Amino acid sequence: MEANEVRSRNSFIGSKISNESFITFLMIGVLLLLFTVAALFVPNFYTSRNILNLITNNWYIIILGIGVTFLLITKNFDLSVGGVIGMTGVLSVYFVQAANVSQNPLANGLGLPYGVAVVLALMCAMGIGGLNAFFVVRLKVPSIIVTLGTMMVARGIAQIVTQGAQRNTSLPDVYGVIGNLAIPGSQVKIAVLIMVVLVILAFIFERFTAHGRRMYLIGANSEAARLSGINVSRHLTTLFIISSLLAGITGVLLASEFKAGISSRGMGFEFDALVVALLGGVSIAGGFGSVLGMFVGALILSVVTSAATGLLLSPDWQFTLKAIAVFIAIVSQSYLLSRRKG
Amino acid sequence: MEPTIQVESGIEKKMLVGQPNWSETVRETVKNFYIYFVLVLVIVVFSVARLNEVAFFERGHFLNPDNIINLLRIAVPIITLSGAFTYLMIAQYIDLSVGSAMALSAVLFALMILNGFSFIAAAILTIIAGIVMGSLNGFLVMKLKITPVIATLVTLSLYKGIALLIVPDGLSAIKGSADQPMPAWINNYARQDVLFGLPAAFYVAIVLIVALVVIQRKTILGKYTAAIGGNRTAADLSGINAVAIVWLLYIIVGVSAALAGMARASYMSMGDPLSGDGMELASIIAVLLGGTRFAGGAGAVEKTIIGAIIVICMTVGMLTIIPAYWQTFVMGSVLISAVVINRLLVQD
Repeated sequence: MEANEVRSRNSFIGSKISNESFITFLMIGVLLLLFTVAALFVPNFYTSRNILNLITNNWYIIILGIGVTFLLITKNFDLSVGGVIGMTGVLSVYFVQAANVSQNPLANGLGLPYGVAVVLALMCAMGIGGLNAFFVVRLKVPSIIVTLGTMMVARGIAQIVTQGAQRNTSLPDVYGVIGNLAIPGSQVKIAVLIMVVLVILAFIFERFTAHGRRMYLIGANSEAARLSGINVSRHLTTLFIISSLLAGITGVLLASEFKAGISSRGMGFEFDALVVALLGGVSIAGGFGSVLGMFVGALILSVVTSAATGLLLSPDWQFTLKAIAVFIAIVSQSYLLSRRKG
Repeated sequence: MEPTIQVESGIEKKMLVGQPNWSETVRETVKNFYIYFVLVLVIVVFSVARLNEVAFFERGHFLNPDNIINLLRIAVPIITLSGAFTYLMIAQYIDLSVGSAMALSAVLFALMILNGFSFIAAAILTIIAGIVMGSLNGFLVMKLKITPVIATLVTLSLYKGIALLIVPDGLSAIKGSADQPMPAWINNYARQDVLFGLPAAFYVAIVLIVALVVIQRKTILGKYTAAIGGNRTAADLSGINAVAIVWLLYIIVGVSAALAGMARASYMSMGDPLSGDGMELASIIAVLLGGTRFAGGAGAVEKTIIGAIIVICMTVGMLTIIPAYWQTFVMGSVLISAVVINRLLVQD
């Protein structure tokens, strides 16, 4: 036993910090390394404007990543977030569009006040989360299958409401405000501020609340969690609904940015959210990961994609690059963690 | 601790009791035959739906022979894919990269035909590409122990990325141009009438399915697959080499994806890097409709094929009665209904 302790203390990364902090620091190191390399080789990379862009451009993926990270920690997937973005955006537009103003069915909505419309759209998003939770918790269906189904249902609702296109007419001016509003004195959008606030709240939830800590126990061993008196079903339901709600908020913000409900908005975002979580060291083996890690993962992704664009690689490269980045991240993280255990 | 013997399957229970348990029998019958009922239901609905516009068997009717032949032609890729997919689901694994693997195969096949390869050479090389793609999936999942969903999402992105990179800038797909026309015979494989109006690709798919059914029922591979999915620990302890078996299953899926990609490229006369989008969803729907347990351990290839035909009937038939933009919603609902049916009937 003593020998074990000595060995782990002496191994090249053995120290007192937790595995999660270790991975987060590691990924910060990787981020700095990648950034330095990119700054050396890519023209105009090391400018304050670009650095600001790197942090702020991915705000929607980071908001989605919060919910996806929490669910991954409990060993569940949520692939429905992209569909929920499309659905919420389209529905919020549909609810707020003026009623009976035109011959064109896509120009007529329900004419609800802005606030009511947004709240209703967010409730629909939470409904998708509830559906996910019902199937996963009550019917014990694997989350990957359920959320693929609800992804199609949510996307399908967006397509039905917009007849496969978009709704962008007869909208009140107030609809386009929140997505385009900048923080006074800067060009940073209010959405970025929302993202930062949400990340901080998520960090507090994950580290300092009983609910957050139980999430890790559920992921590590859900049977043990159940036997020790944790209401696993309720926790998972809450997390699924939170994830969909975050996707819904993102959907409203993105729709407001373009002042249009576009049915294809958010396609593939579920994959990006998963990518940033995995880059940040969240493990699907369960019970491991952190929102801060995911945040760093998102920055790594934006450095990689931005550097690739700067090197004039065609946009077709992004799929391959993401695949390689995630692969390297998963393999190296699991290798280093196994070394760390000694 | 003393070993306890548990009687699990319905058959053994019946043997113990000595007389048939009627509710159990009814349940078993429904479980075994509901998929055929669903197929008949779907066909009846689409046959009756537009009777006021077209009469039975007339041109444009769902049961018109030309329509059925066309439907079966379109069904070739999904039939080819979902058969092998069933094996993986039985073993409690999953491959989300099938659509991308199929698209990459289609791109490679079209590229080779465009550059003067003979059909046989292009087909063999495409199948080899399929073997490589399947092996990579197997390697990530079984050797590097990455969760199947994540590993195959990574390869989904990778194969699709490679397919997009192969297609030259400014083009959306590998297709013939004025100075380099696509040979017209690329169509023959998936469109030319060989027997009963159906093309060679269809019969290749049928041969593949028959082979998979026979392998599942008569060989040790089928038994081992079910054993791995039913109880992994027990399978390991009884000396089954799960790593090799599942790896082999991934390779079989890769080859199926290559065959499906060839059929798609031949049908469309081009290699479209996005042509495989959604095929993984269609395969999952087909497999679950076909009553394969999503917890692994049980399932049948032939029922998956019925499930695949239902999926194709829905996608094709739906277009005749409701606008195209309903498609995603309906397929999502079908997937969720399949999960519910599966949950109610198949799971214990």
